[in-house]
Amino acid sequence: MSNSTPYLQIQHLCKSFGSFTALDDISLEIKEGEFICFLGPSGCGKTTLLRAIAGLEQQEEGRIVQAGRDVSTLPPQKRDFGIVFQSYALFPNLTVSENIAYGLTNVKMPRRERQQRVDALLEQIHLPDIGDKFPGQLSGGQQQRVALARALATEPGLLLLDEPLSALDARVRLHLRNEICTLQRKLGITTIMVTHDQDEALTMADRIVVMDHGRIAQVGTPEEIYQHPATEFVARFVGSMNLLPAEVLDRRHLMLGSKEVQVPMILPVCDQGTLGFRPESARLQAAPFGLNRDDNLVFQTRLEQVHFMGAFVRLEMMLDQELPPLHVDMPLEQMHSQQPAVGEWLWLSVPREALKFYPAEQSSSGTLGARDMGAGMRMDVAAMQVAGA
Amino acid sequence: MSATLTRTGGRSDLDYETWLQRLVVAAGVLFLLVALLMPLLTMLVKSVQNGAGEFIGLSNFVDYFGNPALTRSILHSLNIATWTTLIVVSTAFVFAYALTRSGMVAKKGFRLLSMLPLFAPSLLPALSMIYLFGNQGILKDWLPVDSIYGPVGIVMGLSFWAFPHALMILITAFSNSDARLYEAAKSMKTPPWRVFLTVTLPSVRYGLINTIFVIFTLTITDFGVAKVIGGQYNVLATDIYKQVVGQQNFQMGAVVSVILLLPALISFVVERRVQRHQSAQLSSRAVPMQPQKSPLRDGLLALFCTLTCGFLLLVIGMAVYASFITFWPYNMDLSLNNYRFDMMDGGGWASYFNSLQMSAWTAVIGTTVVFLVAYMSEKIKPMPTARKLLQLLAMLPMAVPGIVLGLAYIFFFNHPQNPLNGIYGTMTILVLNTLVHFYTVCHLTAVTSLKQIDGEFEAVSASLKVPFYTTLRRVTLPLALPSVLDISVYLFVNAMTTVSAVVFLYSAETTLASVAVMHMDEAGDIAPAAAMAVLLMMTSLVAKGLHWLISHQILQRTQRWRQR
Repeated sequence: MSNSTPYLQIQHLCKSFGSFTALDDISLEIKEGEFICFLGPSGCGKTTLLRAIAGLEQQEEGRIVQAGRDVSTLPPQKRDFGIVFQSYALFPNLTVSENIAYGLTNVKMPRRERQQRVDALLEQIHLPDIGDKFPGQLSGGQQQRVALARALATEPGLLLLDEPLSALDARVRLHLRNEICTLQRKLGITTIMVTHDQDEALTMADRIVVMDHGRIAQVGTPEEIYQHPATEFVARFVGSMNLLPAEVLDRRHLMLGSKEVQVPMILPVCDQGTLGFRPESARLQAAPFGLNRDDNLVFQTRLEQVHFMGAFVRLEMMLDQELPPLHVDMPLEQMHSQQPAVGEWLWLSVPREALKFYPAEQSSSGTLGARDMGAGMRMDVAAMQVAGA
Repeated sequence: MSATLTRTGGRSDLDYETWLQRLVVAAGVLFLLVALLMPLLTMLVKSVQNGAGEFIGLSNFVDYFGNPALTRSILHSLNIATWTTLIVVSTAFVFAYALTRSGMVAKKGFRLLSMLPLFAPSLLPALSMIYLFGNQGILKDWLPVDSIYGPVGIVMGLSFWAFPHALMILITAFSNSDARLYEAAKSMKTPPWRVFLTVTLPSVRYGLINTIFVIFTLTITDFGVAKVIGGQYNVLATDIYKQVVGQQNFQMGAVVSVILLLPALISFVVERRVQRHQSAQLSSRAVPMQPQKSPLRDGLLALFCTLTCGFLLLVIGMAVYASFITFWPYNMDLSLNNYRFDMMDGGGWASYFNSLQMSAWTAVIGTTVVFLVAYMSEKIKPMPTARKLLQLLAMLPMAVPGIVLGLAYIFFFNHPQNPLNGIYGTMTILVLNTLVHFYTVCHLTAVTSLKQIDGEFEAVSASLKVPFYTTLRRVTLPLALPSVLDISVYLFVNAMTTVSAVVFLYSAETTLASVAVMHMDEAGDIAPAAAMAVLLMMTSLVAKGLHWLISHQILQRTQRWRQR
């Protein structure tokens, strides 16, 4: 992180609403030109964090430094940002042009130049001929693009997007995702987007900040987040993940329900935990041939149900009555060649790299153990280290 | 990266925009403190003082309750309010049902007619009652009791006057229907009476309770009707007037005011509670109901509405007709003699023009103040506690009867040590008093329309470095223009017709038309009183007509964006 000074530094931010803690000691650094997504379920504090950066909420503790300037206590109008809301927040009584030019009126700028700027922005959002229309005459997607143009009109150093796509239809949403990304890369503007949609975050962001209960659960590239979720929460929230409650017997053995299994890794010292793997990382075969138990988790499961998902099928497997069913994704071709029957017992294997083990939170020794093993590594990859050790 | 922990205690770099916002909020709080809370508190203090201004504890109250002539008024007031509420709410309930849920014809016409009483001063129905059922009334023989001067007259007059208030709330309640519930009930073969009991009634439950309390408060605090037609039947509001104007016993006036405040405050609290429940009742996915035709039911309802509107028109028509009669009942020729107000008590035509002036000022100043205060309490961030206080104070005038507010103003502004003493007896105090008297409804109208405007506009403006007042002028105000016009016409009409609050506050130079109606009636000039009341009603109707024209003509030009 020392190669370039961060554009935005957030240090130990705290904010609560009554007894509800919205931000709990948040620290974060964002580089210039980065596209960051704040991802998390509703109430996790992501919007509050965005609004604190904008100055729309005042934090109780902590500092925000933007482009080397401490903006912690500045009101929004003294900060440097453009913002787009889920509700578009376009002024309905002003035309599209007047909306876009709204922030330009107090920058002393000749009328001609202002009009040129508006036209250029309309061109940029691919809506060149709508300047004289009113927002009410546009579709949701068009309105949101106008809101984007309005936020960019004053050339702010930071673009804040508060769930900008949530109010739109699925198809428009996909289209706008690309458009926002292209525009952001072209302008190179540092951008923070708040979303609860993991797909949005995974496809758009350079880095994702996953938040939970006012804390940062993990910061990383989309791939890091997906491949190596640092906590059980991240694993649950991003993508789908089989998570099995497990009892730790020794460093190599787990109890899953009433079944004892050998795991291809060294477990941390703890009593309880959760074993996890993604549905697409598991393999199914009729016989346990060629499976090395030192490199793979192997156990026998029964096929319960088959869900057709389009490009693949999702198989619902039963390991033990006491456990939730497991999901295994299988490409359609394999399904056709293998033709597993419902009720059939199959061998399920998961390679070591795809296995995650999260020690239960209440046993502090487990977490400590995990940290010990990952000593010298970054916190957010510690769990991955445990799993891969 | 240095991980130094910095504590920031609030904003230190306050800019002038934030200061301006704080200033306006503080001004709003100060306004409501001075014009509402402090006068009321002064009145409370007066009720525990003797004539010389010494503290005497509750002995005024002991005197009051020891005097059966005075305490009887409490029962009288309760009696009047109960009967009127019963009559008005049940009539308005059926009327509102007919307008919203039946396939009846001429709904628009019925609705328009039913709103007419809003434009009449409350003295008008009382005067009409005299002409209809008084000693020389044309329908005297129809009256089942001996004399119209008393409870029957008061209840009939108040029923006329309170009807549109009840109707408006109930129409809103009935409009919130969900057709899917009715379809579900129908598909389960539920008989109509059971649908009414299990679907219709629960859906209007809160509206109904709300109506009952609003009407009860309106009627228990009314002054005008009881003053004109009450005869020997004293109620609390007229007692205050008699104590203060008749006997110059200000302390006893304060005591009665405190007692009159109680039922109003109680129903106010209950009403606010109910209101809170109502908001979350209807889901946004409800499908509005299309009323079905049913000849027998619709016919009966149309008959009911015709009779009700007939009564309203009879009352208004009687007053209008009587105002043109030369000398009732001896010379029934039509003439404009009764409109020569300069020959009568009460200030003559000058009082009419005073009323116009006062109403215009109230409308202009009031709308500005109400809108600014509502904007500050809804749309800005600084001073959350002060803004809470603002909202609370803005709701209070609803619970304060006009006559109580008027008396409180005497106590507060006529005090020699009050620096604002100078406004006593001027137009200013009349405008101030009228504005505060009708403040709550205006505030709620403004707040409702502001709540419908996207809450992020202020945030967007701040991010674009546009000051909040520019956005207020360019965006918020144009968006809220229809409700701003509504507020101004509401204030104008009420300022024209109100009697109760201003009856203590006018001076020889600032006599008002509505008070003149009362004085002419007191002097026995009933016909000129009716003439003035009719004139006030016509003026209000003209104002409403202008409002309608403006809403439809000017708005159409400036609100092009509303069309899709």
